Amino acid sequence: MTDDTITDAADESPRRRFELEETGFNEVPKKWRKFYRYWEGPDDELGPNEIVCPVCKVVIRSRRELRPGDRLYCMPCMSRLVVVMGPDGRLDTEVVY
Amino acid sequence: MSPSAGGGSDPDDFDPHDLEPGDFRDEVYSFEFWFQAVDGYLAERPYGHRVGISEPALDPVRREALITTLCNYCVGETAALEGASGMVEFAPNRHAKIFLATQVADEARHLEVFLRRLIDLGVEDPEAEIASRANPSLLRFKERLLEFVAGRDWDAAVFAQNVVLETMENTAFRAHETTADPITAEILDGVIKDERRHLGFGENDLGARLMRDPGVRTRLTEIRAELDPLVLGTFEAAMGDLGAEADRRTALGRDYLTAIERLGLA
Repeated sequence: MTDDTITDAADESPRRRFELEETGFNEVPKKWRKFYRYWEGPDDELGPNEIVCPVCKVVIRSRRELRPGDRLYCMPCMSRLVVVMGPDGRLDTEVVY
Repeated sequence: MSPSAGGGSDPDDFDPHDLEPGDFRDEVYSFEFWFQAVDGYLAERPYGHRVGISEPALDPVRREALITTLCNYCVGETAALEGASGMVEFAPNRHAKIFLATQVADEARHLEVFLRRLIDLGVEDPEAEIASRANPSLLRFKERLLEFVAGRDWDAAVFAQNVVLETMENTAFRAHETTADPITAEILDGVIKDERRHLGFGENDLGARLMRDPGVRTRLTEIRAELDPLVLGTFEAAMGDLGAEADRRTALGRDYLTAIERLGLA
């Protein structure tokens, strides 16, 4: 996946927004901590604004509902990601190298 | 977490995912980021754990297994310390140089806390104990890594150190943490958090390199075939000694292979 594959999310309908609070994640500077949380394993139910980093397995959180094409950053492992639609119809991510 | 309408007008209401890629790199590949990150989980933890946790009574067999494992962790951390410090000089850009400098500090700390744990367990001469208990395969891996570094072979060194070694260490430490005594578990917890940065750097750096020059893939695949048995066998043995659950041991290979597949090196 390269930079030029990142496009604005195609669905332009209004998105839900979320107020984020810190959840105890402490691996990034304080101002960024609420944007990440620890993944509790396969039974961990993700919100519509959350996705698991494929590289380091931390849950990445956004203030807005995620859609394919969104850009995300995993600061704990310094990865750049793009949201994609997985083969099972659920949101997934690909690493942008 | 609760949904709301609107938002975004507060100056503090800044979303890191809105950063431009260059600004993101400047943010995370910096000592300032590293300082503030490690402060979150290492403050008030001298030698990697809180003061006041009582030393557990380990039965002799378990203590012996733990000492052997810690000795081999020290070999791995020394390899990464020497490797990362040597790579600073020929790293291809400022971000990589600064990142590797933070990794050097991390690896030195890991070595120090594992050595300290050996002393706390009653090992009088940790250096001698490491020499006598080091896994020959891991020593061979260290030798190969340092050959790549001495040859200023960036691709091979990043692959060996930040993909192969870091991915396997991360999985092994996480498995060990689940069965370890409370002091060792806290030490491992801090080390695992550091490892996230190291393995992320490796995958992202090599991923970008492979996008630019797919020809590198063939060579890295050959290096992988050489290094896999050296490291995988070492950590599988350690996890067996420590009584790690079967599914955790399976995860060692799976996590590693997943990273390898993302890079197209499977």
